[in-house]
Amino acid sequence: MASAASEEAVKAAKVLMVGAGGIGCELLKTLALTGFSDIHLIDLDTIEVSNLNRQFLFRKSHVGQSKAHVARDAVLKFRPKINISSYHANVKDAQFNVDFFKQFNVVLNGLDNLDARRHVNRLCLAAEVPLVESGTTGFLGQVTVHVKGKTECYECQPKPVPKSYPVCTITSTPSKFVHCIVWAKDLLFAKLFGDKNQDNDLNVHSKDGSSSKSDVFERDVDEDLDQYARRIYDHVFGYNIEVALDNEETWKNRRRPTPVYIRDTLPEETVQQNGTSRECNNGHEEPSAMASLGFRNPQEIWTLADNSRVFLETLKLFFEKRQKEIGNLIFDKDDQLAVELVTSAANIRAHSFGIPLHSLFEAKGVAGNIVHAVATTNAMIAGLIVIEAVKVLQGDYKNYRMTYCLEHAKRKMLLMPVEPFEPNESCYVCSETPLLLDVNTKTTKLREVIDKIIKSKLGMNLPLVMIGSTLVFEDGDGLEEDEAANYALNLEKVLAELPAPVINGTKLTVEDFQQELSCSINIKHREEFDEEKEPDGMVLSGWSAPVEKQVTSNGGKLAASSSSAHDTVGDASANPGTKRKLDEVLESKENCDASSSAQVIEDDDDTIMLDEDPTLLKKKRSQ
Amino acid sequence: MAAAAVAVAEPKTKYDRQLRIWGDQGQAALEKASICLLNSGPTGTEALKNLVLGGIGSVTVVDGSKVEPSDLGNNFLLNKECLGQSRAQSVCSFLQELNDAVKVKYVEESPGTMIDTNPSFFSQFTVVIATQLPESSLLKLDGICRAADIVLVAARSYGLTGLVRVSVKEHCVIESKPDHFLDDLRLHNPWTELKQFAKSIDICDKDPVVHKHTPYIVILVRLAEKWADAHDGKLPSTRQEKREFKDLIRAHMLNVDEENYKEAVESSYKVSVTPGISTEIRQIIDDSSSEVNLSSSDFWVLVAALKEFIANEGNGDLPLEGTIPDMTSQTEYYVSLQKIYQAKAETDCLAMEHRVKNILKRIGRHPDSISRAYIKTFCKNARKLRVCRYRSMEEEFNAPVISEVQKYFADEDSCFAMNFYILLRAVDRLAANYSRLPGIFDRLKVAAVSVLSDMGLNGTSLSEDLVTEVCRFAGAEIHPVAAFIGGVASQEVIKLVTKQFVPLMGTFIFNGIDLKSQVLAL
Repeated sequence: MASAASEEAVKAAKVLMVGAGGIGCELLKTLALTGFSDIHLIDLDTIEVSNLNRQFLFRKSHVGQSKAHVARDAVLKFRPKINISSYHANVKDAQFNVDFFKQFNVVLNGLDNLDARRHVNRLCLAAEVPLVESGTTGFLGQVTVHVKGKTECYECQPKPVPKSYPVCTITSTPSKFVHCIVWAKDLLFAKLFGDKNQDNDLNVHSKDGSSSKSDVFERDVDEDLDQYARRIYDHVFGYNIEVALDNEETWKNRRRPTPVYIRDTLPEETVQQNGTSRECNNGHEEPSAMASLGFRNPQEIWTLADNSRVFLETLKLFFEKRQKEIGNLIFDKDDQLAVELVTSAANIRAHSFGIPLHSLFEAKGVAGNIVHAVATTNAMIAGLIVIEAVKVLQGDYKNYRMTYCLEHAKRKMLLMPVEPFEPNESCYVCSETPLLLDVNTKTTKLREVIDKIIKSKLGMNLPLVMIGSTLVFEDGDGLEEDEAANYALNLEKVLAELPAPVINGTKLTVEDFQQELSCSINIKHREEFDEEKEPDGMVLSGWSAPVEKQVTSNGGKLAASSSSAHDTVGDASANPGTKRKLDEVLESKENCDASSSAQVIEDDDDTIMLDEDPTLLKKKRSQ
Repeated sequence: MAAAAVAVAEPKTKYDRQLRIWGDQGQAALEKASICLLNSGPTGTEALKNLVLGGIGSVTVVDGSKVEPSDLGNNFLLNKECLGQSRAQSVCSFLQELNDAVKVKYVEESPGTMIDTNPSFFSQFTVVIATQLPESSLLKLDGICRAADIVLVAARSYGLTGLVRVSVKEHCVIESKPDHFLDDLRLHNPWTELKQFAKSIDICDKDPVVHKHTPYIVILVRLAEKWADAHDGKLPSTRQEKREFKDLIRAHMLNVDEENYKEAVESSYKVSVTPGISTEIRQIIDDSSSEVNLSSSDFWVLVAALKEFIANEGNGDLPLEGTIPDMTSQTEYYVSLQKIYQAKAETDCLAMEHRVKNILKRIGRHPDSISRAYIKTFCKNARKLRVCRYRSMEEEFNAPVISEVQKYFADEDSCFAMNFYILLRAVDRLAANYSRLPGIFDRLKVAAVSVLSDMGLNGTSLSEDLVTEVCRFAGAEIHPVAAFIGGVASQEVIKLVTKQFVPLMGTFIFNGIDLKSQVLAL
């Protein structure tokens, strides 16, 4: 930089930016002003109001439009001569294959989730394109460089992943507010407004004789909306709790929950009384129960009665104003009405279980797993990314740095630059070390291994599974009909009964053609699994297991916890000298190990879910 | 009504992600603040852009220059149509687009002239951000700001290096929000109610359900008492004793996987915390400013009350924070504990309030002139108070602390920063003498040596490599560095305005060659 050589390198470079959010906006501007003139930009998101405090290329009038396109247009306005190609698409789409990646000199990530980061990492490794990775949370940030063969890859070190909860804690024995939120969001909300065909663990006991319906959540064509809302309320907060109470075994060591019925919480209010608000919402504004009930302060904690009012009102508003969306809604932290429903439902459930209630603001933070974000940090990090990218373009690998930006200056340093580590020899992504899977081969279906391990843990997008030379499963388009039918059949078979049986000692080969990633998994048969500690009913080892991070319910800091299992095999840090240096610098604090406390995996508008995908969450318990 | 409610909620939505960092109070402070920016080059506009996005109250740009072709290369806020127009005006019209809630103003005047001819202009602002200002102007401006009690943040980008320096007589922080802080549990010194509650639970209860749901606070209070009884009333302090104390806890386990006992073992060190007041807080209490009078700030009135509290109700301790961390427990026990801690915190806060009222009366202020909410926040953060005082630039330039400077030169980590600091000052001298920026190695080196000798550091050698680098930079304000330095400067402004977090305690120097940074107290 600031030299003729670097100017040449910048001018000639073709760069790919993934993400046009908080870091992305700053990065695109900084790239353009540094002289980059061929920039490709991928982002699948559209602009939200809550982006406007930092994503400065966007205006209020852009809300709802593609981030990638609007960002491109904004920068072209002041730099009309450079070439920016924008894609309003998911980076995991098939069009962005290894050949696509190969055309770039460097890839710059400004992503908001682990899954996409891992995917890009693999494509960069396969295409042999250097990757500059970044993330921010509040005043914390980091920039790291990953060059195949020279530095560790993004997945060589364990990454924090969202905490997941045992299914029974969510469905029957919540003890923290976050459990109630997960229940309201992933079970109740999904059941009410999501895809009806998705499996769901919400208890749906129907009262004997009282209803002939197969699904209590289904609203009859002629059913009065108020009546429906009250029926749902009594069912999920009253009746379901009564049913749960019948199971004495569960409550032997626990406080018993109290069923909540609408006749007790809102005894005064008769049906139809809430109808006053309807005229106010004349369609121009986004429907909101808070608005129609006149609640203004999102930081106030509502009483049980108010939560009940909000709950009924949100249900009605969904049916009145957003009928068309019902059946395919997914919870979104920027959907006001959805947040209102989840907050009120979680609070009513919390009341039942003697858990303190929370405000909408706090509940939203927990439900959306919201990462706080501010323009200053993103601007700083974007500056550092470009400085690093210029070094990468010049092949100046002696000067590559992984840089951590701290909230408080430590030892008079606000930035912690560290020389990149060498590739981890036991990394299953950038080396060829086999993995080990403990699993009950007699009871576990292939589908479970694919969902819980191959997709969820190994992050494969379109996996293929081979046993010896027998292909037992393949994902993706372009399959012959009989092949597809055959694979679908295999999915439901237990491992030991597959066409090529999987037993103790079998070696599986799993591949993802898009990511050009292949690895082998040695199978170890085991019958017993600890329900609490091994909720998947299987255990993968030999990989850098992610570290669970804890999300505090007050919307406060994310604390990385090192208490979960590190089942890394072999020497995890190929370069212990440097590693120790980082440890020293960061001063080993209570409960924090250097890698997890320094890693920030999210960008600002993080969409990582608090728990796993509900479809994976289901039947987590062992048989 | 619905529309009104939505209108109220809307700006909150826009700021949602940052409210999660500094809360409503912090946001309100930002919305009240007025910022003045001197020079609207890339570093300055980057800093301002971040503040405007965050909803700062008002910004005023002071810049007398016209937009030149070179501005278009590194300033995002300018385009071709702006050429020849006032830079301040052009920048402001873009800034206004970013956030219509912010008042954006400009004055077409060179900062140097403004400082020389209209010093009272600056007294209307909360913070002045001075960018790319030479030493002589900065020195005068600092004098003006200090006299008017205005916060000054100086920022500068120069090639691959840059600098941010906060200057204010005194900045008091209640919510310093440290990364890690020990929970305020008072296990070493439990008060009556806590002791009574702990006694009400039988930790030897053989019922496994009760046993594995006894919160670790209770276990530790009881076992600490037991330990003290066997050790002349003393708590475990040596490494050996701490180990034995852990063994004592383990000996009470009925089962190896009792989570609450594991937590008790992990938290056992909380019993051995040093009782009383930390040195940092002691220093604040003993500061002469705690002798309050009519002109004392609210913060120091509270410190005066705190001093009295410690000597009286507090029995040598600070007011209790009143919150407890998550722990394995039966819900009823946990809620009871929460209430016991809250009640004690409220009692402490009430005692503080009485003392504050009396002090206010004594110094001739209205007894209700400090709000309950302020007192409460103060009590909650009593262990985390910080007072930051900065040397004036006059002192920095004319009365350097030689021993400190020598230490920085000798230290591996800060040596580069000290070199850059001297070289940037040398650059200013050259600019003053030759009215052009250095490109010639020898000239820069001579100027740097004269800076050193003026500081009384004859014979200190500079890194030739860094002299070469600074020559090569030739004053270029390159964008990635401007974005970084502007980002740091705006972050400091946010800390100073919200009075949350601790601002950088000195001159922050950034080295873009290897991304190192240092804070020098000069």
